[in-house]
Amino acid sequence: MLTYILRRTLYMLPLLLVVSLISFTLIKIMPGDYLTSARLNPQVTEETLQAQIERFGLDRSFIVQYGLWLKNIIRYGDFGTSFDTKMPVYRALFLGNKLQWTVFIAFSTLVLSYLFAIPIGIYSATHQYKPSDHIVTFLGFLGLSIPNFFFALVLLWILVVIFKVGDHGLTVGGVMDLHFYGEAMSWSKFTNILWHLWPVWVVIGTSNMAGLIRLMRGNLLDTLSLPYVKTARAKGLTERVVIYKHAVRNAVNPLVTILGLTLPGLVSGSVVVAIVLNLPTVGRSYFAALQRQDEPVIMAGLLFFSLFLLIGNVLADFLLAWVDPRIRYD
Amino acid sequence: MKNALILAGLLVITSLAVFGQGYPTQPADALVFPVGVAGTVYEDMELGVRGGTITIANIEDPKGWNDMTAHETSTTYFTQRQHRGLVNLDHISGAIVPDLAKSWEISDDSLVITFHLREGLKWSDGEPITADDVVFTYNDLLLNLDVDTNGRDGQLLPDDTYPVCEKVDTYTVKFTMSVIFRPALNSLSFSILPKHKLAQYVHKLNPEVPVGTFNEAWTLDTPLTELVGNGPYIVTDYQPNVSVTMTRNPYYYGYDPAGTQLPYYDTHISAIVTNQDVSMLKFRNGETDVYALRPEDIAILLPEGASKGFHVLITDQPGYGTTWFLINQDVGLAEGVDNEKREVYRNVKFREAMAHCIDKETMIQNVLNGLGGPQWSPVSVPSPFYAGRDYYGGPITENNAVIFEYDPAKAAGLLDEIGVIDADGDGYRDLPSGAPLAMEINTNDNTTRVASCLILVDDWQAVGLNVTFQVVDFNTLVDRLFGSSGDLIYLGLTGGDEPNSGANVYNSCGSLHAYRYSACDEPDEIDTRVDELLGIGANTFDLDEAFAAYVEYQQLLSAQLGYIYTVVQSFQYAYYDYVGNAFKASPTSTPGGNNGLLMELCFDKRLL
Repeated sequence: MLTYILRRTLYMLPLLLVVSLISFTLIKIMPGDYLTSARLNPQVTEETLQAQIERFGLDRSFIVQYGLWLKNIIRYGDFGTSFDTKMPVYRALFLGNKLQWTVFIAFSTLVLSYLFAIPIGIYSATHQYKPSDHIVTFLGFLGLSIPNFFFALVLLWILVVIFKVGDHGLTVGGVMDLHFYGEAMSWSKFTNILWHLWPVWVVIGTSNMAGLIRLMRGNLLDTLSLPYVKTARAKGLTERVVIYKHAVRNAVNPLVTILGLTLPGLVSGSVVVAIVLNLPTVGRSYFAALQRQDEPVIMAGLLFFSLFLLIGNVLADFLLAWVDPRIRYD
Repeated sequence: MKNALILAGLLVITSLAVFGQGYPTQPADALVFPVGVAGTVYEDMELGVRGGTITIANIEDPKGWNDMTAHETSTTYFTQRQHRGLVNLDHISGAIVPDLAKSWEISDDSLVITFHLREGLKWSDGEPITADDVVFTYNDLLLNLDVDTNGRDGQLLPDDTYPVCEKVDTYTVKFTMSVIFRPALNSLSFSILPKHKLAQYVHKLNPEVPVGTFNEAWTLDTPLTELVGNGPYIVTDYQPNVSVTMTRNPYYYGYDPAGTQLPYYDTHISAIVTNQDVSMLKFRNGETDVYALRPEDIAILLPEGASKGFHVLITDQPGYGTTWFLINQDVGLAEGVDNEKREVYRNVKFREAMAHCIDKETMIQNVLNGLGGPQWSPVSVPSPFYAGRDYYGGPITENNAVIFEYDPAKAAGLLDEIGVIDADGDGYRDLPSGAPLAMEINTNDNTTRVASCLILVDDWQAVGLNVTFQVVDFNTLVDRLFGSSGDLIYLGLTGGDEPNSGANVYNSCGSLHAYRYSACDEPDEIDTRVDELLGIGANTFDLDEAFAAYVEYQQLLSAQLGYIYTVVQSFQYAYYDYVGNAFKASPTSTPGGNNGLLMELCFDKRLL
């Protein structure tokens, strides 16, 4: 398994190189650059702009810029300095507890959505075309079709305007009340975090869950129609054993496989939700860098998301081997 | 709010440990704000009490804590509360007022400005503030080419030199200019930085550090205990993407007439809220104390105010920003195409026809929800030099800029007159040669601008002009603005009190003279006169003389229709009733605005 992971990681390197080249090209194709907005400032002279262009190396050719970027990473492990914040890019992306919160929110949402999606999917499949199945299906489609940022905004609106949570001293958005930052963990801080995180889990989790429920339902229905399930039933096994011991274990494989794609999706796909819900995540820093065309941070962010893809895939491979004894990585 | 008070208490205790105890008594040279003093612009304000926390929402994270290298307001919002300059622009009175300097003199030849610093003042860490700090900030930072600052450009004199800064004694500095330049006094409001903390990062003073080290000093990852300032607040806590907390500087030199050291609020928290809708929800939820609202928020907030205990301040005063569209008079010049179109665009009667089609009233009603006014002049309405006044700084009485009322019939007549008629009967006017005249107006993805463009296009089409509209990415729009491929561009610019700060826009060789860059090589009479007037307005300390020059400047530019101004949003602001003195908010002075003066004077009425 270790060899397999090592091999997978090594395979990832040329892939990351291609990703970085494509990303760099896309950034350069985009109109304007980091200094575009400065050009609209009536108080900035042409000389100052020129000095900044040279300082940031924006006057060099595309190939030279990319080559220098790559060389600095390979030779010095230097991913560059943010144009905007003048900090090394990893600080610009991860300053504070952004990495920890990003990982925590992504993993907790992932776990919660699988925890809910699998039983609901099983229930839906085993109650096919019954009213309860229709309700679950309807909710599933609803979850899939509501844009997350809109859902987040509506949820905050309901809390503030309908439930008037402010009258009870409760705040909305963020991961905790402002005064809890920097404080040691306590029961009140813990409950406050839970109060702030449940909308996050609901918003990001439900959209993710909706797809998973549909997938689980479909897979299980397919599996239930296979001959080995009929054999199991013919052998006189109880329906419970047929479903949970024989059918579900096979039906769940594709869900485990797509876990590898879901994890990076939760990190990068929740950027807009992070903005609406004020979450201190890497995605928000990345989004800010995109808006201001802070190239070194954009490149580092892309590599970071690619890394998450790798982690997600390796994680999925692990789990697949665990749930399906037929799979071995040697 | 209870939690905020606990936090405030903790921060005050921490800050006393970090900063020191402050002045034992009010310094003799303290800056006293005449709060409640009859005959001043502060007379209707109340004396407050110290304590409490004010929370506002900021849309972006700061980019660092270094005021010298800061490029945008999300950073200067904090750095300019941490650092003050020799003089300040009092946004309540609109005048240049003493700040770190208690007074200044201008020599008889108007070439030397001598500043006298307040004596006995200290930085937030207890070190004395002296002329050395001013000279360091000016000579070693602002004019140091290794330092990445936009502030240097603001110091440039018309003859491309900079004022020479010299120390006279411990509390006196003088700036010598090679030419008379009145706006230099505004420019000398730059923030003064502490030499004892920052000289170590400047290569020319400390050759051991590489060139450019200063640009990476006081970044967001610098320990906050390193930050030292002379302003009312010092940043004491930063949670990325979440909040910035500022705590009172015990050595700030601002006092009220009762001898209470300012600011009144112990703590100022800025919650970073990127989404405006969420920002409004947080205000309604009582999480923030003040809120700069959008026109669309009025209908929601007004009915709620009485029951929730907040007040919505609606004024008819616009801010400094300007909104305009331009007709690219150099269209196709670089490519050598569109020659006839260019000739038409350069014909002032064509531009007058376009201007007569602007239905500003509809734009105000439909786009700004009735909360706005027309804009005619290139100078910002709040400026004391705005042409709508009878004299410098006087009340707005009438509009002296040239006005083009909404009059489609007149527009059609002007187009007929210059031969832009529908030659082929397809319903659209053509160029005088009969070739079709197709135009496109572009703006970026900004709801107000998009809605304005749609109204404009409708009105132009109504007189037979074939104008289409397309939203483009902001950077593409800026590229078009600086190139010669765009037809019509709808955008906005920042403004200010001093018209000369817009010299880069209206001077014929200015880098933002986007409606006709070729004016630099081929200036017409108006271009030449505008250049002269910009000089006359800036080269005199006689404000009446400057005002007269700038009125003519505004009349010429508004008639020339280079940038064609549209409408400007008026100022609205919401604040909870317990925020004392917040009623004084105006487009130029808000508790949450970039100028900190009003924030220093706001206080928590519940503590009275």
